[in-house]
Amino acid sequence: MSGSMISAERGARLILLGCVLALAACGPNQVKVDGNFPTPLMDPLPVTMGIYYDDDFISHEIFDEAKSRTESDWVVKTGDAQVAMWDTLLTGMFKRVEHMRFRPEPDKMNQAVDAVLIPRIEELQYAIPAHTNVKVYEIWLRYRFDLVHVNGDPIAGWTMTAYGKTPTAFLQSDEAAVNLAAVMALRDAGANFATGFPRIPAVKTWLDSRRVQPKEAAP
Amino acid sequence: MKQLSSLTAGVLLGAALSGCVTSTVDEMVFEEPTEGIGDASVVILGRRHAPDYETEPDFIDCLGNHVMRGDQSITVMDEIEFLNELYPWFEPRTAPLHPDHIEVMLQHRAVQAKAQELNLEYMIWVDGSTVRTDGAGSMACGIGPGGAGCFGFGTWGNDSKYEATIWDFTNRAEVGRVSTTASGQSYMPAVVVPIPIIAPVQGTACDGIGDQLLQFLSANH
Repeated sequence: MSGSMISAERGARLILLGCVLALAACGPNQVKVDGNFPTPLMDPLPVTMGIYYDDDFISHEIFDEAKSRTESDWVVKTGDAQVAMWDTLLTGMFKRVEHMRFRPEPDKMNQAVDAVLIPRIEELQYAIPAHTNVKVYEIWLRYRFDLVHVNGDPIAGWTMTAYGKTPTAFLQSDEAAVNLAAVMALRDAGANFATGFPRIPAVKTWLDSRRVQPKEAAP
Repeated sequence: MKQLSSLTAGVLLGAALSGCVTSTVDEMVFEEPTEGIGDASVVILGRRHAPDYETEPDFIDCLGNHVMRGDQSITVMDEIEFLNELYPWFEPRTAPLHPDHIEVMLQHRAVQAKAQELNLEYMIWVDGSTVRTDGAGSMACGIGPGGAGCFGFGTWGNDSKYEATIWDFTNRAEVGRVSTTASGQSYMPAVVVPIPIIAPVQGTACDGIGDQLLQFLSANH
């Protein structure tokens, strides 16, 4: 009697565990992008740059709903990795970097800086082999940058794209591959920004007005 | 005697369990260093700007290890370490496609100082990949109270195609090219236990290019 009670209890536990595992399998694939980003090797521009990340940027994520019963929902969280990458990059690009307390506006008391950079993510797209039948995981990002004075007056505004990919690998999960593709996309964003920033026409005019002579970037 | 026979058996078993690979290597060298590269260092980098493939990092590792094993006086820098130390100048978007472009990035004093610190003599770019070609056969596996097992037969092919371009970092010039192609067929028969007979296609390509690089870089080969 006692033996059958134990086995019934154990059976119930196993069924419960099975249900939990089945429900977990139905949940979305989640990727919280995590990576190490190197400091750029370049001569810092003699500029004190302010940086302002809004809440959408800091907590950036995309949710992609499954389009069929055979697919899964996907959540890709890039916010923390974005902040880590841009902080490291900008600190290496400029003589001094300040995180602004408020969005630059005429009546806001902010730190004294030469200009403030406000990055935004306009779009993020990803592709996995199940979507494309190509054995590559891809992440594509489009940023919008605004460079403004401390009082909010615009200096320059431009968009920039970044792309990262990683091939399928033996024993690599979809999540790990998407994370790696996102890290590659962030590295690409940093490389594109670091080499292209002084060549944005409005930025170049502003740097010229401050008599800052950046070195020519790679072609 | 017993050790020798078990070693022979191991070698024969290894040979029997390896698929066949055919490989060709082409070499074109302009200015080979006659006395090796001395205490200078070399970096081997994979090209990763093509949309549909990228040179595998483990192939680059394999080449570096092959060269260092062949001549322990040669220092081959780790690829990832090099990319991180010279970020953002060697990312897929920004990597120089021609030796002249090195001049432009060396206008940055920080890059110039790093290049001097690394004492970099040669930069070797490797472009290519290994792909799986045709596949055939089927295999069924089952599990029951008495045990588990598989039955069937599978076969597939692999093709490797790589080209290494050697740049003289000091003189900003291309000094050689080595290319290799390799292909092979792998088999997996299964009667209860699957027995993989893998053709070492990528490894053969690595040995082919690695030997040529070693001849170029080393005074002892």
